[in-house]
Amino acid sequence: MKKSNTFEKLTEIILVLLSVILTAGVKFLFHACGQKEDGSWMHCHDAEQTVFVLGIMLTVMSVLMLIFSEEKKKRWIKIIMIPTALTAVFVPNILIHMCMMKGMRCLSVMRPAVIIISLLIAAAAAVSIYYGRKNKES
Amino acid sequence: MSIFKSLPFRNIAGKPVRSFVLVLLTALLSLTVMGGSLIVSSLRKGLDSLEARLGADVMVVPYEQATKTKIEDIVLQGSTGYFYMDKTFMDKVAEREGIGEISPQFYLASASSSCCSIPVQIIGFDPETDFTISPWIKRSYGKELGKLDVVVGNDLNAFVGDTLTFYGQECHVAAKLDKTGTSYDTTVFANADTIKALIQSSLDLKMNNFSDIDPDKVVSCILINAGEGYSADEVVNDINLHVKKVKAIKTKEMITGISDSLSGVSEVIGILIAAVWILGVVILLLAFTMSVNERKKEFAVLRVMGASRRKLAAIVLQEALITGIIGGIAGVLLGLLIVLPFNSVIEETLKLPFLLPGAGGIAVYSAAALIAAAAAGAAASGISAFRISRIDTGLILRGEN
Repeated sequence: MKKSNTFEKLTEIILVLLSVILTAGVKFLFHACGQKEDGSWMHCHDAEQTVFVLGIMLTVMSVLMLIFSEEKKKRWIKIIMIPTALTAVFVPNILIHMCMMKGMRCLSVMRPAVIIISLLIAAAAAVSIYYGRKNKES
Repeated sequence: MSIFKSLPFRNIAGKPVRSFVLVLLTALLSLTVMGGSLIVSSLRKGLDSLEARLGADVMVVPYEQATKTKIEDIVLQGSTGYFYMDKTFMDKVAEREGIGEISPQFYLASASSSCCSIPVQIIGFDPETDFTISPWIKRSYGKELGKLDVVVGNDLNAFVGDTLTFYGQECHVAAKLDKTGTSYDTTVFANADTIKALIQSSLDLKMNNFSDIDPDKVVSCILINAGEGYSADEVVNDINLHVKKVKAIKTKEMITGISDSLSGVSEVIGILIAAVWILGVVILLLAFTMSVNERKKEFAVLRVMGASRRKLAAIVLQEALITGIIGGIAGVLLGLLIVLPFNSVIEETLKLPFLLPGAGGIAVYSAAALIAAAAAGAAASGISAFRISRIDTGLILRGEN
């Protein structure tokens, strides 16, 4: 029982960290292409903004999950986090069209980074739900 | 007996920090082998693809372009640009001796497309005479290209059925090429009619520097394959001697620079892998030696409990092998997670042709990296395993060693 608790807590902390990395990273680390010379933005900027909003939602949810002590509330938050993270996976180039060449920053850096981190969030949430259930059963 | 069997696993689980450090070290070893070999093989595959993609022995360009680096930038680096020469040069060159196949190409750089601020290189070819681009296009598109039909390179974010607008002309994407790892991946291909229509549109919109050209009477370059019994050098010399205002270039010479850069990058990667491995193996060696020294009493007790000298050595080796395999798998996964999704960034950074191996090749590199990391861990623990099999139980338990 103690081990399950530790793993669940660990996955919850990982969820907070990944959500913060997604939110801050999409703005500062693996952001989309820059502004055009005329000051306007390329299509990929919309994808960046969307992922940023989803990142904020995931961060808020993961922090609330840490604050709440009731197992049922925690589980529901984790369940909601999975489709939210999966939505972020599909934002770059599927839901929102990106730039012309694969070598451009939005396609070569932002897209893979967003996909990997979002998938990790969904996986961590699923693992956390599993350990939460195991904990409850024991 | 069963307790001895499960002992290596229990030892690993019982000392999480030590095990984590060992796993981390072996992961680093397999990551360097995996990442390094994957990058080097992708560069080699890219160069092979580039050689195949050039497809012609000789390239004839306007003389003033040959003195600039522009032509190599367009052909090899994927930079955008355009230049033209009178079509009559095509006939003059075709009359020379030693010409096997000959076909013109037309270059045009698009203005920034509507979605983003990156221009695209457009290459036009004559389907009747072309022998360089058509074989690649036929792999993806079996039919003839119509007017305003285009074939896009693999790295362009456009798909069959999409519409791309260049100089106000809407072009239909008829096919998408397979990945070549070269500048072809960022190029749009069209037949001569489409290119002429686009050149005319660019002139009408005053977006082309060549205001006095007639699209029907120009070509950008002429590609030649030497005829039977003639070498590329002979053809190059003959054209350069007898046809004025053009320059013939041997295409093989164009990729010499890339080949040299690739050798340099491969060498640097090789040195880095060797450095990480030497350091990693030395640290593993020290870690196992220190760990076994700390655990001398533990092994002496096991010896008293009936474990043979061979069993003690096997426990140390098994522990190293288990941590090696776990670390190896972690390193391989991390390597795949870095190289596969971010291969475009690596390609952009190295500015060299880059073509990832197929799934089979990647599986072979993964297996090799995993085996190398596990073997390195086992080899590093070998000395410690040998020493522990020679311990004097009595001396150790009395605290004299």
